[in-house]
Amino acid sequence: MSVFRSRPALRWLVPAAAAVVVIGGGAAAGTIAASADPALPERSAAQLLVDVQTAKIDGLSGTVVQTADLGLPSLPGITGGAGSNADLMKLVAGSNTARVWYAGDDKVRLAVLGTLGETDVIRNGTDMWVWRSTENSATHIKIPADAKRQERKTLAGAVPATPQEAADAALAAIDPTTAVTTTGAAKVAGRDAYELVLTPRDTASLVGQVRLAIDAEKHIPLGVDVYAKDANNPALRIAFQQVSFETPDAEQFTFNPPPGAKVTTPDRSSSAKPGAPHRADKADKSDKSAPEGTKVVGKGWTSVLVAKTSTAKTDTRNAEGTQQLEAITGALPKVSGTWGSGRLLQSALFSALLTDDGRVLVGAVAPEKLYEVAGQ
Amino acid sequence: MSQADTRLSPRFLLSELRLIAVRRRNQAGLAALAAVPVILAAAMKLTVPDAGRGPGQGPDFFSQITGNGYFVALAALGVELTLFLPIAVAMLAGDAVAGEANQGTLRYLLTVPVARTRLLAIKYAGILMGAFLAPLVVATSGLLAGFLLFGAGDVTTLSGTRIGLATALLRLLVICLYLGVCLAALGAVGLFLSTLTEQPMGATIALTMLTVASFVLGQIPQLDWLHPYLLTQHWRDFGELLREPVAWEALIPGLTSAGAYILVFLSAAWARFSGRDVTS
Repeated sequence: MSVFRSRPALRWLVPAAAAVVVIGGGAAAGTIAASADPALPERSAAQLLVDVQTAKIDGLSGTVVQTADLGLPSLPGITGGAGSNADLMKLVAGSNTARVWYAGDDKVRLAVLGTLGETDVIRNGTDMWVWRSTENSATHIKIPADAKRQERKTLAGAVPATPQEAADAALAAIDPTTAVTTTGAAKVAGRDAYELVLTPRDTASLVGQVRLAIDAEKHIPLGVDVYAKDANNPALRIAFQQVSFETPDAEQFTFNPPPGAKVTTPDRSSSAKPGAPHRADKADKSDKSAPEGTKVVGKGWTSVLVAKTSTAKTDTRNAEGTQQLEAITGALPKVSGTWGSGRLLQSALFSALLTDDGRVLVGAVAPEKLYEVAGQ
Repeated sequence: MSQADTRLSPRFLLSELRLIAVRRRNQAGLAALAAVPVILAAAMKLTVPDAGRGPGQGPDFFSQITGNGYFVALAALGVELTLFLPIAVAMLAGDAVAGEANQGTLRYLLTVPVARTRLLAIKYAGILMGAFLAPLVVATSGLLAGFLLFGAGDVTTLSGTRIGLATALLRLLVICLYLGVCLAALGAVGLFLSTLTEQPMGATIALTMLTVASFVLGQIPQLDWLHPYLLTQHWRDFGELLREPVAWEALIPGLTSAGAYILVFLSAAWARFSGRDVTS
């Protein structure tokens, strides 16, 4: 105290130190958690893959955080988006938090958290509910018992929703084009985990690395990081922030629409994509219902999807959607070459080219490769 | 230093709290805070047969008001959080030290004698009272107006499930406490600003501008690296308490951030105030 009395200026050291501790402490907590290397017995990539395929858990609940830094240009109606699609659009730009509950394949609940809202997808047996708190609306979909598999696939859609699904998607991409290695153990959500590193052999791919964290004990994927080439931070990251392997209560999966809510029960035909009607025009490579003329050029990581756009069809169905699409494409930079002309969407992980003659080319490659394919 | 300095007597604290409570401007401020939910509820009541606007229109919780008076309190808190509540705290905090200096009473207060650290602590206690009382007043007034005009009942959570009214009221209380902690952090910044000047109005306006600026910066996606450090960033996390089950761990960032702000700015206020010359 006497030091402070004789030299009042020294008092300022206290708040300064407090500020350093607070800001530094927050930053350090992250790095310590990330660099802690637990000692786990070595395990080969093949062993890990088998572990993952055969992993069997009765239930889990946890919080999943997904961050995307795809380096997309700002697009009207998407990145700055308001309206009902804003939550889903955050999947491609920004950060999302979701809580998941799982108790077997037919009891799943996923809650995507908004600031003062929530979008829930709840599956309980043959019932599937999609609840949107901001619209006060619930969609009820009956799943025929024989269509289970297919329905699940559709839901997974273009953007993986849970680490499990994301890992499945990444594993499906493994073939001779990929170098698979394991690295020092990682720590995800406070649990020891192995890390499986997939590196594309083809250097033309924009994807630098896919790192899959696999729980050392339960063998389920805890997180996926997708790195763009030469990037230090993941362009896409989905990982558990907190996870518990206790089977959640059955009441987590019961949903009764609250009184006053708008309940819709769509026909089977129109229920394919409850969440994201507009998402199809983005990086959707798995759209099986694409019109004829769709083909894949190239192999593995550098394959390019070429599709014909069918504007006439969308016109009648969804005028607003078409308008939005036009606004988006209008904002993209114009490019041209010997292959013709069009508009280019470029991001850290993928490029998309919309040619003026109505073709769409998408791939995890540099634009030059798209031009090459477009010229063929 | 005399005996009176070290002895912990509640007298000074009580006199400070009473001083705050009997000030006309503070009473008027509380009345204004309480009036907003009443006006809101009345406006919603008068425009009920407006079927043209579907659900999901208007700000958060507004669409649910007509079904359950409980949501008047939530909607009012959401509305007042951006400006009214910060202004109320800014008024108290700005007044804390600069007000005494401006009136020329700070000198006399310190000759009583009261240690400067203790004076700051008492002043902050007064701000804390305001910070925790203000959301409670808004919520209570909202509940009263809402129940009177729209009735009460089970509450639909953000997850689409229903919880009983008693549980819902308990959660509302926790929401008020959480907002109280958030506003207490704002009050700590205000106390620091108040030690910088002899014009209470200056400190109040500076703090209000800071709040608004923080909200605006929080809306700019290009500045997302800055967002975790913003004072107001986690204020709207109070919605986490309306999920089923409650995401308690989601409140941690907000509470940590508030704690950090309180620590840094209270120590800064101490560094500034105990070292400065009191001239008025």
